[in-house]
Amino acid sequence: MNNTHTMADLGQVRPPSFFQRIFSVWLRHVRVYTKHLISNGFPPFVEPLMFLAGIGLGLGSYVGLIEGKTYILFLASGIIVPSAMFTATYECTFGSFIRLEFDKVYDGMISASLTVKDIFIGEILFAGTKGFFFSGAVLIVIAGFGLVETGMAVFTPFIGFITGLMFAALALFVTSFVKNINHFNFFFTGLITPMFFFSGIVFPLENLPEFARWIAAVFPLMHAVRLVRAFCFNSFDPGLFFNLAYMIIFTVVFGSMAIRRLTRRIVN
Amino acid sequence: MCMAKKFLISMRLQMKNKTSGGEIMKELAIKAENVHKTYGNLTAVNNLGFEVPRGICFGFLGPNGAGKTTMMKMLFGKAERDHSRGGQVSVFGYDPKESALEIKFFTGIVSQEDNLDQELSVIQNLMIYSKFYALPAKQARIFIQNVLAFMELSDKKDAPIRQLSGGMKRRLLIARALINNPKLLILDEPTTGLDPQVRHVIWDKLRDLKKQGVTILLTTHYMEEAFQICDDLIIMNKGEKVMQGPPAHLIDKHIETYVLELLHTGDEALDAGDAVRTEFMNNRMLLYADDFEIIKQISDQFKAGDFILRQSNLEDVFLKITGRKLHE
Repeated sequence: MNNTHTMADLGQVRPPSFFQRIFSVWLRHVRVYTKHLISNGFPPFVEPLMFLAGIGLGLGSYVGLIEGKTYILFLASGIIVPSAMFTATYECTFGSFIRLEFDKVYDGMISASLTVKDIFIGEILFAGTKGFFFSGAVLIVIAGFGLVETGMAVFTPFIGFITGLMFAALALFVTSFVKNINHFNFFFTGLITPMFFFSGIVFPLENLPEFARWIAAVFPLMHAVRLVRAFCFNSFDPGLFFNLAYMIIFTVVFGSMAIRRLTRRIVN
Repeated sequence: MCMAKKFLISMRLQMKNKTSGGEIMKELAIKAENVHKTYGNLTAVNNLGFEVPRGICFGFLGPNGAGKTTMMKMLFGKAERDHSRGGQVSVFGYDPKESALEIKFFTGIVSQEDNLDQELSVIQNLMIYSKFYALPAKQARIFIQNVLAFMELSDKKDAPIRQLSGGMKRRLLIARALINNPKLLILDEPTTGLDPQVRHVIWDKLRDLKKQGVTILLTTHYMEEAFQICDDLIIMNKGEKVMQGPPAHLIDKHIETYVLELLHTGDEALDAGDAVRTEFMNNRMLLYADDFEIIKQISDQFKAGDFILRQSNLEDVFLKITGRKLHE
């Protein structure tokens, strides 16, 4: 009885490969997102404009040189990655939660030949892709203002990509705990917003007391900012390998914890 | 007609039983043995076992919370059975514990809830879904055209999902489950909340699919649905199988042929004799008997409108077995 019936007449049962499955999930998100390309594509171009005008021009006139650069140059290089952070974080908190609890999109997806792991790896990659394009949009805007000094800056969207992966992994980890959509407010107000202000984007961390610098280094955004600045100013140091390694390890650790927890939530 | 149907079913069962053991195994679509599932202190499925031959429509009947949906989910890995308590599940030879992906590749799944992509049109929903099976775009377009035609949705192919009625959405969910040409179709309450026209269309489509050789599994609490389309069914209650058989057999075996429902009776005694079995529900009294004349004579004492005299049906069996009290 153990060795049940034959499967001869079933033909070849060959589910899609891992790569095909991940790609199909990624493609699903791209299709849905690009359905409203104008409204979705508007903010990444306009937000940096407001930032540069409001803070760069307004506040910048009171600030002297930072690391030998004018304040607006310093700020422009800093705002390339937070756009990737915000878009990936929104996508994998509110976006994922709605797909999980309200629209039941994941239930539909795992009824096809996909696993929960496929779904969330595909989703993290999509958030990375958004990070790439959002960083790219900011780069285009600051280049338009003549705030890009070196050709090396064209590589910064790749840092945006890794930033997107990293914050998608973190956001999914948070989402795996959340039962009520309003609880995301704690995450945004408690972690994401302060991270934006204390990661060396609007002011250099060197001015902070040592303990504050250590705290900033624990949080992931600072590492992305350091990498982006290196490409913007074409000045590299060996410490950057540590920043890159931090981002990759962070993504893998939080990503796998998130997938394990979400699997338990979806498969019950 | 009913007799003819019963006859056909019994013939078919006999033919199945005549084949040798090995043959029967080969014809099985699903085999489950000693399946258990608990959520904390709650036992959702308790020691359930059943066999589904290929090419039939098999039903799970039961009140809410009976464990029907949980059992279905365990077939394709959406829920995990309690592995510590032994038990086996085989779907076309695959165990969902290790091979959920393979099972989902040849199985179409229609869940209770509408989980279509609200942002996309009908055709976009299906195109994206076809990618989950890695169907090449050219082939997918042909398959999609076919499933839309089959579910009578061709003229809605460019409509956004939010413009579809409940019945259209359900038909689209079925169409989506059919994209990869499944050998097995699993439907969780496929016609709940739909109007009678749509319900009949869906039943007809399921019969068509069965003719094409698709094995169908469904849960329902509509007795009519179970009676109309299921070749075999199990009635579940509190996670356990209470009985199994073709619908007509269950009626034959477990309930008298005729029912007299007295609508406004109080406690007044009514001596119906030994040939009649009586049940009470709220202020209704139900009298069951195999002999039509006896029950007809009783009904003559009442004026029209105060009673209903009818043949018994699956619902009577169901209520007899699972009790008349609310389960929630």
